[in-house]
Amino acid sequence: MKNRINKIIVLILCLVMAFQAVAFADGETQEQEMIPKNGITTIDELHGKRLGVQTGTLYEQAIGWPKEETDKFEQYKMPNDMLLALESNKLDAYLIEEVGFYAQRYEHPELMRLKEKAGESQFAVIVGNNEKQDVLYAQMEEFIAEGKANGWLDGLYDYWVRNWNPNTCKIETIPETTGENGEVIIAIEGGYEPFSYESNGQFEGYDVEFMMNFCAKYGYTWNFQAMEFDAIAVGAIAGKYDFGMNIVVDEERAEDSVLTDWYYVCDLVFVVEGEYESEMGFFENMAYSFEKTFIRDNRWRLFAEGMGRTLLITVMSIILGTALGFAAYMACRHGNKVANGITGVINWLIEGIPTVVFLMILSFVIFGKTQLSGTLISIIGFSFIFGCGMYGMLKVGFGAIHKGQFEAATALGYSDTQSFFKILLPQAAQHFLPIYKSNVVSLIKETSVVGYIAVMDLTKMGDLVRSRTYLAFFALIAVAVLYFVMEAVLVAIVNQVQLRIDPKRRSKEKILEGIVEKE
Amino acid sequence: MIEIRNLTKEYENVTPLKDVSVTINDGDVIAVIGPSGTGKSTLLRCINQLETPTSGQIIVDGQDITAPGCDLNEVRKKMGMVFQSFNLFGHLTVLENIMNPQITLLGRSRQEAYDKAMELLDKVGLWAKALNYPDELSGGQQQRIAIARTLAMDPEIILFDEPTSALDPSMIGEVQSIIRMIAKTGRTMMIVTHEMDFAKKISNRVLFMDGGNIYEEGTPKEIFENPKKEKTIRFIKRLTSLTYRIENRDFDFEALADELQLYAEKLLIENDRTSKIQIALEEICVNNIFGFEGEPNIYASIDYSEKSDILTLELKYAGEHYDITTSENVLFNSILQEPTTTVVDEVIENSTKWYNNHTAISLRWED
Repeated sequence: MKNRINKIIVLILCLVMAFQAVAFADGETQEQEMIPKNGITTIDELHGKRLGVQTGTLYEQAIGWPKEETDKFEQYKMPNDMLLALESNKLDAYLIEEVGFYAQRYEHPELMRLKEKAGESQFAVIVGNNEKQDVLYAQMEEFIAEGKANGWLDGLYDYWVRNWNPNTCKIETIPETTGENGEVIIAIEGGYEPFSYESNGQFEGYDVEFMMNFCAKYGYTWNFQAMEFDAIAVGAIAGKYDFGMNIVVDEERAEDSVLTDWYYVCDLVFVVEGEYESEMGFFENMAYSFEKTFIRDNRWRLFAEGMGRTLLITVMSIILGTALGFAAYMACRHGNKVANGITGVINWLIEGIPTVVFLMILSFVIFGKTQLSGTLISIIGFSFIFGCGMYGMLKVGFGAIHKGQFEAATALGYSDTQSFFKILLPQAAQHFLPIYKSNVVSLIKETSVVGYIAVMDLTKMGDLVRSRTYLAFFALIAVAVLYFVMEAVLVAIVNQVQLRIDPKRRSKEKILEGIVEKE
Repeated sequence: MIEIRNLTKEYENVTPLKDVSVTINDGDVIAVIGPSGTGKSTLLRCINQLETPTSGQIIVDGQDITAPGCDLNEVRKKMGMVFQSFNLFGHLTVLENIMNPQITLLGRSRQEAYDKAMELLDKVGLWAKALNYPDELSGGQQQRIAIARTLAMDPEIILFDEPTSALDPSMIGEVQSIIRMIAKTGRTMMIVTHEMDFAKKISNRVLFMDGGNIYEEGTPKEIFENPKKEKTIRFIKRLTSLTYRIENRDFDFEALADELQLYAEKLLIENDRTSKIQIALEEICVNNIFGFEGEPNIYASIDYSEKSDILTLELKYAGEHYDITTSENVLFNSILQEPTTTVVDEVIENSTKWYNNHTAISLRWED
């Protein structure tokens, strides 16, 4: 197979961040008027300063500095995190692609770029490592070459990037496709304007229109999947996705990668903080942020949708995990060697692997070639994780019961099943339900990593909103509050269950139900 | 009738039951006695199959319950068991502890079960505690309820596994009197106990177990008053003695003094004599033998013979001999001098045993 990957080092991917409504017509003039707070105006002055860059983009290698210096760049997960670091004076400057800078400055006029460009970066499409790879690679190369030759790509870039307007830009006509050659799955970030973002339930943006046209031309139907940026290349290499978008072309990519030719090029710039006085007062500012985070574009719906998905994953995992843990305990409780062996190994593995790694292994390795949805894979993964906890809880809970209880029941003539359900379980439940509650809470929190496998949960939705608004405060607080609310509701439910089944809280009437008392 | 044939129970390292055969007739009240760890409880737990015997047969009314395919749960309904640790179901009220097994296992109606439970609670004097939970009751009360729970199932035999050994001394009586009451109704019972007096009074047969076997069997009179075999004799005698091995100089004489105190209380020995024994023991061991070279190796026993009313301190020890008449302790000397005191102090020549010295001080009581 062509372009097999031996050395993955060669290529690291990147995504271009959300580009928001920027078309600042007077951007250049503003910059000239602003004075940088720390007095830095040229790239040379940045040597030895605290500099930031987005993880995995490898932008720092494009400046042409020695490796000792580029190694010192601090790595950030999202452009907005760098912005916050800059404003809280943890960074002196950060490196970002030009388009991202304009998008950020729309909300943060205090930002300014150094006039010198630090370098440029090319972006390509990664072709999934599966049986369709050869065909898709050839078709994509042809498509890009044609698009460059007849100026279509340039026009597309002008429309979406250079003349970006968040209020008017949209895919005007969705191209018709015959779909005769089946479906292709395309991994996009999904929250990065103007390349891929969600608007009114549809994916929009440069990447989306680009891929729709590709599909139309070659007779495919498209299936866009949004996910954490880090997961795009991983998933494509695992063969789970047919295409991954917005991958940085590295100088060394050479012959080993499965990257196509670049489909757009973008300048890299250093961003510093300038002297700027906001015209808005504090409350005005807050109201504006609030409006942007929740009201505009009905963004509250994203939170609601994310919360729904987080709840779905959590509740399903609790139900299935409880059943799984219970089944495992039932199979193991009499010391069956096979059952204990299997349970022991699964427990050992799941307890030893970080949740996010476990989920990615499930998604990209075990179910790599299947088309199970990320939500379903998350439910499977978290059911196992919760099931392990459940199994442990049952062991502790039943272990806490004096063996005399079982012996007394057996001696009276209770069968094994009768004594388990009538004598042991009601007592064990009171031992393990408190742990169960804290496991429920940890589970809700743990599900926040599902964004890595393309699930739009509450955390991911919060990130999406943040990446569109470039305002961190309300989105983060809202996400935190919603997690608290979900935890409180689920814990309240478990509490109710615990009270209901607490044998010692039954009323006298309940105990003496259907009995005529003797005097 | 329960017939036990060649019952053996083996674990990896120990064999608590070796080839035990015994027949329990209807109406028997059998007391099982013997030193700790000789398989008494194991025998009981094998009868209702809480422990699966390694080999042998148990035949209950003609049915071999060790045979594969035997419905043990049905058999167990006919055998009640009372445990050392009561084992009342902690999540159920006293009333439900007695009611629920009847409903679940015997198919009685709630009302029938309730009536039966209240009748039995009345019998054991705990009618008022029906709606309490077990952990709200004293050990003695819990055990009485456990007995009521067993009786509610109308078992053909009741197995008591040390029913009073987990109880505070003040509560032993109330439980024993309930058991005595049941014994009078002619129900078949088997009781493992360390309370010899109780065993003697309640049973019609006594099994003395030693080394996983029924070592000697007889009526209470035969076993307690005229035991025939060596180990039984020693056991019955040792019921009235305290023995210690003193093998280093850190020996806890305080604990010994406490035990001696309890022992004296139990046997109604007056303080005067026990404190004399204590003085003698400490004088000989601490003040003299401990002064010799090497680790001490002393076997000490304190014996009380109820019949002749003599309290004896006997010491056997290895190494150098200490002549007790050379003591300079005035108090000790005066004890030795008393007319009610008998002293033996000798070196055992050519001793083939561990100890080559023997000292015994006997104190008689004289009005």
